[in-house]
Amino acid sequence: MGALGHYLETQGIPTTQISLIREHTETIQPPRALWVPFALGRPLGRPNDPAFQTRVIQAALALLEADSGPVLIDFPDEAPDGSEPAEAEMDLPACPVSFARPDGQKTETGQLLEAFRQELADCRSWYDMAAEQRGFSSVAYFTPEAAFQVFHDFLLDKPIPLDDNIASPALALRLAAQDIKAAYFESVMVRPDITLPDDTAFNRWFWQKTAAGEVLRAVRDKCRASDDAALKMNGDLLLVPMDQASA
Amino acid sequence: MARLKTLPEPMRSHLADLPCPTFDTRPWVTGPPLSRRRVAIISTAGLHRREDRPFEGMTGDYRVIPDTCTAKDLVMTHISTNFDRTGFVQDWNVVFPLDRLHDLAADHHIGSVAEFHYSFMGAADPGAMEQAAGRLAGLLKGDAVDAALLVPV
Repeated sequence: MGALGHYLETQGIPTTQISLIREHTETIQPPRALWVPFALGRPLGRPNDPAFQTRVIQAALALLEADSGPVLIDFPDEAPDGSEPAEAEMDLPACPVSFARPDGQKTETGQLLEAFRQELADCRSWYDMAAEQRGFSSVAYFTPEAAFQVFHDFLLDKPIPLDDNIASPALALRLAAQDIKAAYFESVMVRPDITLPDDTAFNRWFWQKTAAGEVLRAVRDKCRASDDAALKMNGDLLLVPMDQASA
Repeated sequence: MARLKTLPEPMRSHLADLPCPTFDTRPWVTGPPLSRRRVAIISTAGLHRREDRPFEGMTGDYRVIPDTCTAKDLVMTHISTNFDRTGFVQDWNVVFPLDRLHDLAADHHIGSVAEFHYSFMGAADPGAMEQAAGRLAGLLKGDAVDAALLVPV
């Protein structure tokens, strides 16, 4: 981000920016930067908090009226409660919707896919309700069923359908992985029996308690063993977060 | 929070070891008071219109986001899996604060909002982004933008 500010300013465009990693900004020294103490992925601090977001954006824009630079200042406040990682486990109730990993351990591929299929069927109504309530879904390309098919075909050595926008199996797998996570989060957003988890609790649940997470680990392992450079990169870096890689 | 020293390993070391470019020059462009500036958002969150092409790699390419976009029109295909996306799912403004920018224009805190905004994929090679930034600067000037708000993810 800092380099982009330098390049644009060099080309005559006044820039100001939000910084999430202060150490990077200190090194790059872009013209104007506001460091914020928020989680990666939340540069404005907290979702659905317009007043707080406005304070952040105003603080960043105010740097445009500085007399000289480079300018790097710190936003004074943490994000309001609710956007910081919590240590509490996501409190999923015992109910007919079984998100638990089958048998608590790894299964054969067929069993795992069947557990994933059942899990999807169980959460589909909630996902649909979330989309209906909001008027859209953050899922970009793959419906839950389409994502299932991509993982199913890859794990069973079948060709993955491609198109002009998604022209490689590696891209299809990465986007399907992102979409299935978004679908699971959206399904959780509307369930009446769950307090909306913070991102840390959601990730812990998704990667350690769901069949979907287990399927993605199986996809990750198969990608790692591939001779295809893009698939191997998927397996090494792009499917499972670093903090969940060994869980 | 994104204080490097508090992030868990291996994320902390990964971010600490990322190479950052340094520069010999310190460009500084001035402009009118904020209340007369025209502001565009430049995001590095790998955002694009739903019907646009997904981000594939680190080639420094960008996508155009018309100011008429709404939350339902925008998706995220950044390649990294190491940042929170649940905030974006709940409220696009936590990553792409276009509604907030329009609020500020309505309150005359800024002059106006650009007709087009842009998004890169932030893990791209800075050298590749430099070339794209040159092209982008021309587009921003054509839109009379005199304030670019850069937002990472």
